[in-house]
Amino acid sequence: MTNSMSNVKMVSEIIENSYKVLKKEVISQYQVSFEVNKDDVHSILTLLKTSGWIQLSYLSAIDWPEENEFELVYIVFNWDKAVHIQIRTRLNRENPVMNSILPIFPGCKYYERETHEFFGIKFPGNPGHEKQLILEEWDDIPPLRKDFDPRAYSDRKFVKREYSNDFVNLNGEKSKQIAREERKEKIIKVRKGGRK
Amino acid sequence: MKEMKLFLGPQHPGMHGNASVHMYVDGDIIKRAFLLPGMLHRGFEKGMERHSWINNISLIPRVCVVEPDINEMAFAMGAETLAGITVPERAHYIRMIILELARLSIHLMSYGGLGSPTGLYTLMYHAHTDRNTILNIFEKITGHRVYHQYIIPGGVRKDLPIGIEEDIHAFLDDLENRYEEYRDLGINNPTVLARITDTIPLPAEVVWELGVTGIGMRSAVNKPYDLRKVMPYARYDKIDFEVPVADYSDAKSRVDCKLQEVIQSISIIRQCLKLIPEGDVRVPLGRGQSMRWTIPKGHVYSVVESSRGEFGYFMVSNGGVNPYRVGVRGASYPQGLLGIEKYLPGTRLDDAALWVDTMGVCSPEIDR
Amino acid sequence: MLSTKFTKLSKEEVDRKWWEIGDFFRRNSLWMLMYCTGCCAIELPPAMTSAYDMERLGMGPMATPRQADVLLVTGYLSLKTLRRLIYTYEQMSEPKYVVGIGSCTINGGIYHDSHAVINQLNRYVPVDVYVAGCMPNTEAVMNGFVDLMGLIKTKKANGWKDYHARNEWYMANQKAALGEVKVHDEFHE
Ligand code: SF4
Repeated sequence: MTNSMSNVKMVSEIIENSYKVLKKEVISQYQVSFEVNKDDVHSILTLLKTSGWIQLSYLSAIDWPEENEFELVYIVFNWDKAVHIQIRTRLNRENPVMNSILPIFPGCKYYERETHEFFGIKFPGNPGHEKQLILEEWDDIPPLRKDFDPRAYSDRKFVKREYSNDFVNLNGEKSKQIAREERKEKIIKVRKGGRK
Repeated sequence: MKEMKLFLGPQHPGMHGNASVHMYVDGDIIKRAFLLPGMLHRGFEKGMERHSWINNISLIPRVCVVEPDINEMAFAMGAETLAGITVPERAHYIRMIILELARLSIHLMSYGGLGSPTGLYTLMYHAHTDRNTILNIFEKITGHRVYHQYIIPGGVRKDLPIGIEEDIHAFLDDLENRYEEYRDLGINNPTVLARITDTIPLPAEVVWELGVTGIGMRSAVNKPYDLRKVMPYARYDKIDFEVPVADYSDAKSRVDCKLQEVIQSISIIRQCLKLIPEGDVRVPLGRGQSMRWTIPKGHVYSVVESSRGEFGYFMVSNGGVNPYRVGVRGASYPQGLLGIEKYLPGTRLDDAALWVDTMGVCSPEIDR
Repeated sequence: MLSTKFTKLSKEEVDRKWWEIGDFFRRNSLWMLMYCTGCCAIELPPAMTSAYDMERLGMGPMATPRQADVLLVTGYLSLKTLRRLIYTYEQMSEPKYVVGIGSCTINGGIYHDSHAVINQLNRYVPVDVYVAGCMPNTEAVMNGFVDLMGLIKTKKANGWKDYHARNEWYMANQKAALGEVKVHDEFHE
C-alpha cells in the first residue's frame, strides 16, 4: 500500500527495458497503461504473468472509425503489488485479426468470444470463438461498432407504442399545462402590480 | 449409459436470474455443462455511448440488478479519476455506508437463496424480510428502494436525512442480535450442513486459471485479497476491518465467509457513523452546466469490490459530452461462464444450483 | 314433497354457470409462474415473503408453467427471452393471464432505442394488466394483482381468448421480430 507508486515504477522498468512502448500513461497510483506494438503483446503478457500479474481482469476493444483502427485492451492485475496494467494495441479495422492469448490466460476464452461477437475481431487459436454467445440470430453488423445505429435497428424491427393523446385526465384535475399557463398569467399580473 | 441433455433455467425456481445452464448428464453425474447467457442483454455498452455522462447516472444502476450501488461507485470513481475531481470528505463516508448496507442486503439475499437448493424456505423468509428493512432505509435516504442513483461523480446526490442514524443503528443491533440464530438456521443446521460440506470444491490452483475473484478466491487461496484492503478506495484505509478467509473452498466455507463478512460490514457501518465529519457532500460539475459536462481524454479502469469480486468499469473519454466507450467487467463473468464449463462436470446434478448460489452468479452483469 | 321440477338450461347457460363458479375459485387462488425476465423481478421476493405476504391474497409461486395461471413479465424482454417466453406462454394451460410489470413492457422504457429489447409486449402475447413504474414498488405490484382479480371477476381478463381469435396477427408480429420462433440451442456445440 505504502509503496504503490514504486510498484508503478517497477512495472514501467520491466516493460520499458525490453519492449518499445509507444505511449505510457500513469492514470493513478494503482493504474498504469502502455500502448505497444501488436506483435509484442503476447511476450509482454507472458513477461507480466511470470512477474506476478497473474489475473486477467478484462479484455475488450474500442472502435476508432476515423483512424480506421480497432484498439484492443488487456488489463492484468497483481494482488500482491496492487497495480492494474492496461496493455493496449491497435489493429487494422478492415481485417482485424489478433492471435488468441488462450495459452497465457485461459480465462480469456469468453472475453475473446464476446469481443468477436460485438466487434467482429477474429482470434485464431481460440476454438469456437466465432459462435454467438450473447446475441441470438443476429442479422446486422456487430453492434458495438460505431457505425451501427441501434435506434434505426430498433425502429425497423420493433414497433413503438402510439399514443393518441398525450395524457389521460383521470380525476378531473387541471392538466399541468393549463396550470402552468395560469401560473404564468398570475405572475405577469403580479409584476404589473395588479393592473390589467 | 446414455448421455441426456437437461436445462437448468431460464424458467426454473433454483436458478437465480434469467440464465440457463445446459447440462449433459449420465445418471445424475454431470458430464458437460455450459452457461447460456444473453437473455438479459439490453445493449448497455452501446446505450451508454449514446447518453451524456450525466444521463448515464440513471442508466448504470440497472447493470447489476441485485447490487446497484457498486455500479454507481465504479462509474463515479472512474469519472472522477479522469476529470481530476476531489470528493468531499463527508461524501466518502456516506458512500461507504451505502456500499456496506448494499453488501449486507446482497449477502442476506444470497444466504436466503441457499434455502431453495437445500429446501429450507424458512431461511429465505427471514433473510428477505431483513433485506426489506434495508430497502426501507434506502428509501429514506435516497427516495427509491432498489435503484438509488445516489452516488454520482463528485460526491453523493444529497445529504443523509436527519435521524437516519437511529434507523441504521436499530437495524444493525437487531441483525447482530439474531446473527447466531441465522447461523443456527442455515449453516449450523445438520440437514443443510450435510448438503453443503465438501460440495463443489474449488482448488486454489485453478482460481488463477479462471480469474475468479471475491469470496470464491479468498476462501481458496487463504489470503486477504480484497480490493478494499489491497487498493483502498473511498476511506477504507481509515477503517479497521478484517477480511474473512478460509483454506479450503467448498460450499460451506464460502457461505461461512459470507456470514463473517456480514459482521465486518456491520462494524464498518458503525465506525463510519462514528467517524463521519460535517461538511459538503458534493462538488458541482461543469460550473452549473452539468448536462454538458465534459471529461478530458483518457482511458481508465476503475474497480470496486462487490460481493462477488472485482467489479470494474473500463471507460474511454474522447473529450466529448458522451463517453466514447464504456465496458463493464461483471464480477461473475469468470465463475459464471468458465467456472460452470470447467468445474461443474463430475459433480452431481443438484449441486449446480449450489454453485450458482455460493459463487454468486449474477446474470444481468454477464449479459449487460 | 318438494318439487324436483326445474327449467332445463341450455348447454351454453350451463357452461356459463360453470365458468362463473370456476372463476370464483380461480381468482381466489392464483398461482403465478416464477419466471424473472427482467430487473423488476427484484421486487417480487419482498412481495412473496413475510414483509408483504402475497399469500393473503391467495397467490403463491409455482414452479412449472403447466400448473400456473399467471405469467409475470417482469421488465424488459430481449429477443432471446421473448423466444422462450412464447414457449412458456404456450405451455400454460387455459385460462391464463399475463401481467406486465414495469414501463419496459409498456413502451420499452429506458431501453426504447436498444437493439436487443422489444418495445411493446402486447404485440407478442396478450396482456391483461400493466403495472407502471421503473421499478414499481412492491405495493404497486400487489395492487396489480388485485386489479387482475377484479378483472377476472368482471370477466374482462380475456387475453387468452384474444390469443386464439387473433392468432395470425400475434404470430405475424412474433415472426417479424424474431425471424423464427423456434429455439435452436446449439450455441456451444
Ligand atoms: S421498468 Fe425499469 S426496473 Fe423494470 S425492467 Fe425496465 S428498467 Fe428495469
